[in-house]
Amino acid sequence: MALRTTAAARSSVSGALPGADERRLPRTLHPLAWWMWALALATAVSRTNNPLLLLLVLAVLGYVIGMRRTEAPWARGFKYYLYLALTVVAIRVVFRAVFASGITPHDHFLFSLPHIPTPDWYAGIRLGGPVSLEALLSAAVDGLRLACMLCCVGAANTLANPKRALRVLPGALYELGVAVTVSISVAPQLVQSVQRVHRARRLRAGRTKGLRALRGIVVPVLEDALERSLRLAAAMDSRGYGRAGRATKASRRLTGGLLLAGMCGLCTGAYGLLDAGTPGFLGLPALAAGAALCVAGLRLGGRRVTRTAYRPDPWRFEEWTVAGCGVVSAVLLFADVGYDAAALNPTLHPLSWPTLPLVPTAAILLAGAAGFLAPPPLPATGATPAPAPRESARRSRKATAK
Amino acid sequence: MSRHDERHPVIRRNERRSVLRRPARAVLGAVGALALAVGAQAVTTVPAAAAPRPIGQCTTRSGAVLAVDFSDWGGPILRSCGTTPTTGYELLNQGGWRTTGTGHDGPAFICRIGYSGFKGGKQFPTAAQDDCVLTPPATAYWSYWHADPGANTWKYSQLGAMLYKPKPGSVDLWIFGGTNVEGTQGRPTVTPDQLRAHNTRPTGGRAPAPHETKTAKPLPPGTDTGPAPERPAPEHPVPERPVTERPAPKPKPKRTTPPSPSASKKPSPSPSPSTDASPSADADAPKAAAKPSTEVVDAAPAADAAHDSGSYVPAVVTGALVLLVGGAGVHAARRRRRTE
Repeated sequence: MALRTTAAARSSVSGALPGADERRLPRTLHPLAWWMWALALATAVSRTNNPLLLLLVLAVLGYVIGMRRTEAPWARGFKYYLYLALTVVAIRVVFRAVFASGITPHDHFLFSLPHIPTPDWYAGIRLGGPVSLEALLSAAVDGLRLACMLCCVGAANTLANPKRALRVLPGALYELGVAVTVSISVAPQLVQSVQRVHRARRLRAGRTKGLRALRGIVVPVLEDALERSLRLAAAMDSRGYGRAGRATKASRRLTGGLLLAGMCGLCTGAYGLLDAGTPGFLGLPALAAGAALCVAGLRLGGRRVTRTAYRPDPWRFEEWTVAGCGVVSAVLLFADVGYDAAALNPTLHPLSWPTLPLVPTAAILLAGAAGFLAPPPLPATGATPAPAPRESARRSRKATAK
Repeated sequence: MSRHDERHPVIRRNERRSVLRRPARAVLGAVGALALAVGAQAVTTVPAAAAPRPIGQCTTRSGAVLAVDFSDWGGPILRSCGTTPTTGYELLNQGGWRTTGTGHDGPAFICRIGYSGFKGGKQFPTAAQDDCVLTPPATAYWSYWHADPGANTWKYSQLGAMLYKPKPGSVDLWIFGGTNVEGTQGRPTVTPDQLRAHNTRPTGGRAPAPHETKTAKPLPPGTDTGPAPERPAPEHPVPERPVTERPAPKPKPKRTTPPSPSASKKPSPSPSPSTDASPSADADAPKAAAKPSTEVVDAAPAADAAHDSGSYVPAVVTGALVLLVGGAGVHAARRRRRTE
């Protein structure tokens, strides 16, 4: 094992070259590593409003997904997240145009929408009116930032197996973990359902476009999703989830109380940190106390549940590097070291070209290093090493390639 | 799982075509829309209605006085004059004045204010203090105050700068700091009488504004500039309590209340309503009389601060990087499939 790890580390240097992957042993990365990487990148994105950096993040996401996605059904859904992202940008732009935020004499006037007068007591909101280039651009950039964060989560869903993420949760959180897993696997499941129903309609030579086709697709998809969640719930039930175990009533209450108090502390602390007007003890101290209470509750609750995992996912060198790439890039974007903080949020009034600050750019490219630091994915889904299905899978994949 | 991958060749071809063409169509459509929009850009050349004037041109019944308190950044209270009719926004964007909005709310939310004659036109608060992406916190923002002609109390503006139309002879004041919902904290420490014009007729000659003075262009047709100025402003009760507690995020050495209205640089000849005792008149304010009030300096109409629209090179570099990184991903994915 150690030999393989060093071999992987050695090849990771030249891993940027596509040919280098063949020398590495394919395996699936720990799902938590991908989630940490993606959430850290989303955190980094939340810091900046610079369209250049945002586009770079999208490119990096595309690169990592191109390099490391598996052939599992949920791993083909990234384009749906891209559509969702485009929708977000479009909605943001349309809303900015309709709910006009006002045009200034220095702005570039684009067009004017019919103005709907609002009564005096509602003078704060204007409907219609002149729309400036600056307003639309700022709305687009704002939407792009949200879109980037969506795509980060989408990348995590594409790269990691959502159901395997459940295994790493602490024992006390198993009941909560079911809810979390169901919620994070909703999007991949929907993607899968849409693909299946779409394909079925095509095989029956049915319509696949237009409003009528949409109705024909939506209803089976919703039905499918409901059936699947019922099946998942039944499967989890039969595997002993939601079982109280050997816990006494008192210890269960203590655990619940500790967790509840801890969550209250965390919420208060977050509020205290974000709102500058609250007294100081509500900030970091409340956050720390809440975290301590939560940890105590989890420890206590974890003692009563003993579970074993079949073939647990290992956490090795590659997991550290992938998660580290994301976290370092987030830290660099929040550190304000080596660059002007204003470059992260360029102003559009007056219009000027955004700059490309060096350190944030390097940080985002560093997050992209996960694309070759992670081990190559397993060649095909499932345990079907027979060449015939794999061959057909490859052919159809080629067909769906953009 | 693998049974889903068995597909008919015709279906595959169709799928490929539609997948390829849909984004391309969308991109083309977007480009076309943008071109149309830019082409439809119309610039009206109506002579400017509002114009900056030397401070002597503002009188008790004409022109609107604009005052901005830069004391948080070691500056004075700068005072300018503009003609009416105008809007609070126009007043604040002419004669060398310039503002920046927020990314979230657009230019109507005044996030930064700069004057080309103060620190080279640098706008405050600086990017390090507030990035002006989201709405600034209630503890540190530019609050907008009006004083109608003759009145010696400040009213917190109930309208945004783009909607409010200053009356002739009124004073507009922008101060940086925090306010609370009741309006008892963060009130201005100067009185309107210290800032307003007291001459009944224009002084300093009738010289118009300097030629290089840039005036805000008129708003495009159909712009809603809010209710008419004649509408009586809501006479909400102005609490005349002294400023006892100020949520000061940072020390403001110069923002102290003057001991009495008589300490103002310009004694008020106009009889102000005596019932309207200014908040600063209360001598029991804890921080009062520590230092003299911030000085008031007249800001002459000036040219706009030079604006550099920057270089397009970073955008080109980013485009190249995006192509490189994205292309590497696509290439790697294709190669992986081929060798599989």
